[in-house]
Amino acid sequence: MGPGALQKKLEEEVEAYKKIQKDISKTSGLRTQLDVQLNENKVVKEELDLINEENVVYKLIGPALIRQDLEEARQNVSKRVDYIQQEIKRHGNTIEKLEKEAEAKRENIAKHQQQLQQMMMKQAANT
Amino acid sequence: MAANKGAGPQVIDISKLNLEQLTTLKNQLDQELQFFSESLQQLKIAQLKFNESGECVEKLTPETKGKEILVPLTSCMYVPGTVANSEKLLIEVGTGYYIERDVPGAKDYFSRKIKFVTEQMEKIQKIASEKSKLREGGCDLVCFESQSF
Repeated sequence: MGPGALQKKLEEEVEAYKKIQKDISKTSGLRTQLDVQLNENKVVKEELDLINEENVVYKLIGPALIRQDLEEARQNVSKRVDYIQQEIKRHGNTIEKLEKEAEAKRENIAKHQQQLQQMMMKQAANT
Repeated sequence: MAANKGAGPQVIDISKLNLEQLTTLKNQLDQELQFFSESLQQLKIAQLKFNESGECVEKLTPETKGKEILVPLTSCMYVPGTVANSEKLLIEVGTGYYIERDVPGAKDYFSRKIKFVTEQMEKIQKIASEKSKLREGGCDLVCFESQSF
């Protein structure tokens, strides 16, 4: 592979690497957001567990406060907590996978850079 | 100088880092400290709000039942009304859920929240001061190294 083609390949690899980095930071951001939601829902679950049947529970649906059954509210929040935990795990896995890809790309890029440098030096020595 | 970057799985002797790496480290610590100080501010605001709510609840005693109050209909319009019920209070607990509690229950809720927020603030304060010390150490090293050039 001539130096020109190698240079081009290197640029392509760097572009791909940058894209992976962007994906990683996007997924990390989503994951942080999910963490916040998880904490909020956990707090609500605790509060719901502390009260008993005689305390009324309302949910804000649009502009209206709708009365909710305590058990139903508890179950809803529980389900939401489980769902968010699953999503966090899924995002965690995605991030791990992307980071492995990024690592592989980094090594590839370093290898190509080295090859390119060697080729340039050989060319300089020949002229 | 044998100051360590931090105890844990990664212990780096910062005297071994060169000037460029030290500056990067210092910038990173600066960013983290900025984030911590913002978080602390937000927690302080939350603490004040819960305090205020708690004090409002204290004012709601059985004597206030039937007293005249001004009820806000919009941000600039109030109408006169009377306190119908000074026993039950609606508290927003998050994610759109509101719970009806009596006065002692509400006071308990607010004091628990205040305790929680204060604990978080103390945790952050501790970590922030550790990071600050590291940053100071890094700063000194940068000055030291740039003087020896």
